[in-house]
Amino acid sequence: MEKNVNYDPSFAQEVFENVDAGEEIKMCMNCGVCAGSCPLRFNMDYPPRQIFQMIRLGKREEVLNAKSIMLCTSCYTCKVRCPRSIPVIDVMHGLAHYAIKQGILTRRDTANFGREFWNQVYRLGRIDEKDLPRRVFFAAGFIEGIKSTLKYLDMGLKLLLHRRMKLLPERKIKGIQSLRKMLDKAEKMGKGGAAA
Amino acid sequence: MDKKTAVYICTGCGIGDALDIDPIKELATDDLSVPLCKDHPFLCGEEGVDLIKKDIEEEGVNTIIICGCSQRVNYDVFDFGPDKIVERVNFREQVAWSQAPKEEDTQMLAEDNLRMGCSKANDTELPEPYKAEEEYSKDILVVGGGLAGMTAALETAKAGYQAILVEKEDRLGGFLGKMKQRVTMPYKELTDTNAEDLIKSVTENPKIEVHISSTVEKIAGGPGLFSVDIKSNGNAVSERVGAVVQATGWVPYDANKLGHLGYGKFKDVVTNVEMEEMAAGGKIARPSDGSDVKNVLFIQCAGSRDPDHLPYCSSVCCLVSMKQATYVKEQNPESVNYILYKDVRTVGQSEDFYRKAQNDGNIFIRGAATNVGEAGGRLFVEADDELLGEKVKIEDLDMVVLAVGMVPATRPDEIPRIQAPPDTEGADEEGKIEVAADSGFFANTALNLEYRQGPELPTLKYGFPDSHFICFPYETRRTGIYTAGCVRRPMETAKVIDDATGAAMKAIQCTEATAIGMAVHPRAGDLSFPEFNMQRCTQCKRCTEECPFGAINEDKDGNPLPNPTRCRRCGVCMGACPERIISFKNYSVGMIGRMIKAINVPEEDEEKPRVIVLVCENDAYPAVDMAGIKRLKWSPYVRFIPMRCLGGLNLVWIADALSGGIDGILLFGCRHGDDYQCHFVKGSELAEIRLSKVSETLDRLALESSRVQFVEIGITDYDKIPKIIDEFMETIEEVGPNPYKGW
Repeated sequence: MEKNVNYDPSFAQEVFENVDAGEEIKMCMNCGVCAGSCPLRFNMDYPPRQIFQMIRLGKREEVLNAKSIMLCTSCYTCKVRCPRSIPVIDVMHGLAHYAIKQGILTRRDTANFGREFWNQVYRLGRIDEKDLPRRVFFAAGFIEGIKSTLKYLDMGLKLLLHRRMKLLPERKIKGIQSLRKMLDKAEKMGKGGAAA
Repeated sequence: MDKKTAVYICTGCGIGDALDIDPIKELATDDLSVPLCKDHPFLCGEEGVDLIKKDIEEEGVNTIIICGCSQRVNYDVFDFGPDKIVERVNFREQVAWSQAPKEEDTQMLAEDNLRMGCSKANDTELPEPYKAEEEYSKDILVVGGGLAGMTAALETAKAGYQAILVEKEDRLGGFLGKMKQRVTMPYKELTDTNAEDLIKSVTENPKIEVHISSTVEKIAGGPGLFSVDIKSNGNAVSERVGAVVQATGWVPYDANKLGHLGYGKFKDVVTNVEMEEMAAGGKIARPSDGSDVKNVLFIQCAGSRDPDHLPYCSSVCCLVSMKQATYVKEQNPESVNYILYKDVRTVGQSEDFYRKAQNDGNIFIRGAATNVGEAGGRLFVEADDELLGEKVKIEDLDMVVLAVGMVPATRPDEIPRIQAPPDTEGADEEGKIEVAADSGFFANTALNLEYRQGPELPTLKYGFPDSHFICFPYETRRTGIYTAGCVRRPMETAKVIDDATGAAMKAIQCTEATAIGMAVHPRAGDLSFPEFNMQRCTQCKRCTEECPFGAINEDKDGNPLPNPTRCRRCGVCMGACPERIISFKNYSVGMIGRMIKAINVPEEDEEKPRVIVLVCENDAYPAVDMAGIKRLKWSPYVRFIPMRCLGGLNLVWIADALSGGIDGILLFGCRHGDDYQCHFVKGSELAEIRLSKVSETLDRLALESSRVQFVEIGITDYDKIPKIIDEFMETIEEVGPNPYKGW
């Protein structure tokens, strides 16, 4: 094994104070049920339980640069199964936001997607299945945008066929002002702020 | 007594469909000359029982043979009072439910079972309860004045019995008195120990006689009749008690052996017991310079779960460290506690306190400490972090606390050695050998018993004086002496209170049962006891040596001196005696021998082999019953003979059976070894040892040794029984019929 890593509780303190649901990691007993349940585990560099332990150890850079924290798809399996009832998803999202706030963008596309998703919900109150991918795909430039669009062409056609996607642009929901008030409030309540 | 025997055959539960009842009735009345034989379709029903009761009244029947279900069921229905002999013949589990119906072999099996039952009933006499000449005492002696001892004494007093409490230190309280606070139900917060209140209620209780600064000098006699010499503050006091509760507690594991964790090298490395004393003293400060404590690291399993130190888990140290971390946090909310653990074992509801400790911000690190060192007057600990797979270092520590485990007060530091007889194998130059943990010479002095098998309780391998904590809690291998609290196994205070209450109850039960001549667990209520025909004793000492409960002492000439109140009625002495002079009124070598002889052995050309199974009543017999209940099938050629304990096995039965033409003998006993399940601790092991000497007998008869086999059967092994029997029948077929048939 390599050289000793020193335990430094200051990062844990930083997480408790600044990250949404950050205090919840205190309760983690590292049983690994979250890691075993995660459908994206094979894409993660560190499983959730290890992220939590690294926070306690004080590995700030590794945690904030971890791909794992950006990968969570909110499937809720870990949260449902956690014997300590830790909202693992909330912690992971909280960490992702905190990392972005700190200027660390490990997965730019994930961050982009998140922002566009949020913006669209804020604007329309719903997701436009054409508009959101378009914005995400073309964010990386015109050529990349065309490539991505062609790649997902099949899926798009199927969505159309099953009437999951409309040809016309989506309209705003009724009472969008109330929803925006709620979203604004939510943004203020979160430690890290919802949209970075 | 003049016996008037009657046979009742139940034809319910499928027995009537599997057997021809009339030939069996004929067998009973003609061949076995039983005057009365009746059948009934539902014998355990009201009408059936009334039929028997009517015969008892009108015909004067006093020996009742019931052919029906197993002896393990309906024993309450077929209880006709203490002056009647009831013998149960198994026609249901072993015949109707496990054999093909209406077959000749099935019929023969039932008839043999009836023959054995009649033979047994014929030999059975009504036991007369033992009554000592002296007066029985029902007082309880409690040794040890900690939480367990005080609770046991209080509970005894509450139940209306007199308790005598002996404590070696000058005040009661034990470790409880040295604690600052404790964690107990509901395990949410720390609670006060209330030690002073408890001590006060014990000392003020009129039914508790407290001796502090006292030791037990001698305990002689047996349950109900113990005479105890106490050295109380230098004065000799003699007491007479009925039963004893040993609650001598624990000592912390010697941290001086934990030099690799820095104990003894750095002043700021302390044990959890020292930490507790410091906290109880008022302030937790660094032992080196008395300065304030901010960062503390707890090393869990310090010496525990380590084959070089304590191989077991003490189950409380996790909770203790969390409690002490809470003290540190209370003293300085800014402090950071690290807990370095192998596994956090906060059992049951105490998990809530683990949650609290986590929520308080204590940092739990899973891994083993590799190095404890000092840099700039501050300690550091290096460890392998198992969850990260890295070596980690925790610096800037003010104190390191070693969570050492509990060692029973009975366990000696070094294994004692005693003088062995000359030419003993493995003896040193002085002729001494190490004593085994399960001998009465192993444990530290606490009781000073006047028992031939040693002055203290035999212990399990780690030095806990327990007999089998799952099956028989509180029981030890000395009748009437019960252990409670941490001397029995490591436990936290809430469990200690339960444990001490349970032990007090067992002790009271023992005094009450002994006073009316009844046995205690596991043959609770048995009125029989072994009788010795002393004229023929050869002083071979096998009974005194082999009794699992040390019931038999020796006089100065080497004659066995039975103590009937210490006896648990297992019959191991009966199996041990080469002269066969030990017998019970309703259980003897001759009785089993005649049961074996009662089996009808067909001629060789009939090709119907006969196998007898001597089966332990405690685990193996229920397993056989269970196999019957599950309708498993096995060979109709086997005959089961239940035994109180397989340790009662006498080799003469094997010789008799084989010379009588029986083709093979199976022995079903409990598991033995370290994780034994034998209800009489040593019985099945002794049976197997005796069996290893059977080859001599077989050689003399010129028979194959594979005709006799020992099988360990747990109560859950019922599914294996048909296979075991079938394989044995194949073996018998291979070696061929017994040449002694028809002699």
